Amino acid sequence: MIRGVYVLGEQENMIYSKEYARSDTRANLVEFLVNLTHYLNTVDLEEKTEFMNVAGSRIFYSQREPFTFMFVADKADDVTQIEEKMGQLSDSFMRDYSNLALANQSLAGFDEKVDEIAVTMVKVAILGFAGVGKTTTLHLLRGETLPLIHDPTIGVSIKKLPEEVENANIVLWDLAGQSRFSILWAKMIANAQVVVIVTDSTLENVLRSKKLVSLVKDEVPDAKVIGIANKQDLPTALTPERVGQILGVPTYELVAIDISYRDRLIQIIRRAILEGKAEAKSA
Amino acid sequence: MPKATFVVHLDLSFQGFVVTQRHPSMLTLNEKVLNLIFLESEKGKKDELGYFEIEGMRITYYSSEQYPGWMVCSILSADEDIDLIRSDLAGSGRLILALTTEDSKAFSLEEILQSGSVLKDLTEEQQLAEIFLTPSSALLLERMQTEGVEKAAKLSLWLKGQIQDEVDLREAMTPLMQSGVVMVELLGKTSEMVFLIKDVMGYREPPVDAIINAKEKSPEFAKRYMGYVEEFFSPPPPRKGYNPTLLVDDPNSPIMDDREKISKILAEKLQYRILASLRDMPLSISDISHKTALPQTVVAKVLRTLETEKVAIHFEEDDLWALLTNPRIQSFMPEYILPVINKKLLSKEITPEAARRHLELLMNAWGEVK
Repeated sequence: MIRGVYVLGEQENMIYSKEYARSDTRANLVEFLVNLTHYLNTVDLEEKTEFMNVAGSRIFYSQREPFTFMFVADKADDVTQIEEKMGQLSDSFMRDYSNLALANQSLAGFDEKVDEIAVTMVKVAILGFAGVGKTTTLHLLRGETLPLIHDPTIGVSIKKLPEEVENANIVLWDLAGQSRFSILWAKMIANAQVVVIVTDSTLENVLRSKKLVSLVKDEVPDAKVIGIANKQDLPTALTPERVGQILGVPTYELVAIDISYRDRLIQIIRRAILEGKAEAKSA
Repeated sequence: MPKATFVVHLDLSFQGFVVTQRHPSMLTLNEKVLNLIFLESEKGKKDELGYFEIEGMRITYYSSEQYPGWMVCSILSADEDIDLIRSDLAGSGRLILALTTEDSKAFSLEEILQSGSVLKDLTEEQQLAEIFLTPSSALLLERMQTEGVEKAAKLSLWLKGQIQDEVDLREAMTPLMQSGVVMVELLGKTSEMVFLIKDVMGYREPPVDAIINAKEKSPEFAKRYMGYVEEFFSPPPPRKGYNPTLLVDDPNSPIMDDREKISKILAEKLQYRILASLRDMPLSISDISHKTALPQTVVAKVLRTLETEKVAIHFEEDDLWALLTNPRIQSFMPEYILPVINKKLLSKEITPEAARRHLELLMNAWGEVK
């Protein structure tokens, strides 16, 4: 996946940067990219895209006078695909934004273009206390048959959604709800674009789950948070509206054991991704 | 040697647990085991070897604050005594993580394991270097240089005021305590006191031993080598060169700017290992590789970094690398605090007991047995 997109100007100044994954070494990386640009300015890449391996990553770079374009991606990524995306990005930039950049104007609209080209994966974390139906929700999303025996998740279970949503692969992180795993939650939701908080719609569970909303807002403030009022087929279930009021996030009804909810749930996640993007844009 | 060893990386972006290296190559692991190892490592202390049993397997794991998300794990055979091999496993975990994050493709896990190569725990100068890599610790040291002895509570308030945020004094104090620069003791029932025991100086010294040894081997080479070193430390006027004896408030003093750089070099485990190997004499890459048990590709890469930091120099025609400068961090007795202790005692800022204890601690650290 593309983890970061960078555009540098003639003076090796950073004109645009966007990271899709949090990094503890961003300052070092930026310094490295600036130095690399300095070096690239002394060679002629002939508008080709080349790459180099740096630690666990692969840095792709291309130049269109006077700009340098860089992607930080994974070594496992398909080179041809990344080169194609580099071509799309540099073409789009040179066509629509290069004059703005040269005039030191804001690059309005470029951010969305970058998302459109670079976002190939979206992390959706599924969070909630034990036994509320997180793994069942995961099975529902994947269109899988439900297991007959309840087998509590250990740590985290990571699965892909079979279909793409908004041209991106959805990676679902189903986090174990047992309290012994609670020390992992804050860490595991890092980089999630969408966090789904699943409740079993009982008053007790929904009240407890308010803590999860706070945790998510503290740890991943940019993520879109949605609530799920699961087990709506049970008589003790609060309405989704009431669950939403308590949690303070948009909440949707669900009966995770009922396959007819699948499309609706995928649409909810799709909307959350789009809303997340729109919020990021307005911010 | 353990039955199996593997390196795990938790990619929090998308992939989750990724086993980046394994030995033997046929080793299979499931998600549950990886999750439970990670859970244990999160519960336990970093930079120490952890041990637990799961599904009949005896598993050790090593993780470090320096490499978040990475773990080196081993599966022990039934007859291996964890207490006997704990330090070796921690050392090999430390080395494997350092190599993995430098260049995971440049080394063979099997070779490292079979050679029994380890990276030892931090040396004294590396521990001292840690002080300048933790901004609040460096700040505390500066304060202690003025105060000499101070109540922990007062120091905590002062630090909070400086940082303008919540701060954990213990955490900020850790590098200072681990390196023996300060000592914290409870005097009386409630008064926790912080005593400055050592002061620290970071600087580059000329690589004297390496030059002397090079002279014995090849006077012609040593002459050229010395030329570069002289050029750095005392170039012809008007250039000033590197003079660590200039006071820190002198605009030409190299100390302040350079200290953090030196600290980073000394604290970085592979860089330190390679630079330490060059302190005695200039060596070729293969000699360094042999001496440090590090792969040649990694050695070459680290040497290039040291070259840009003006620590190493390459003699291409001789196929040798040498130290241009020898970064050092050394401790010395802070004699200047003796009048400070006296003044504080006279003005009753500290009790006689605190003053006596401070002198005792200084004597223990610096006194000579006759």
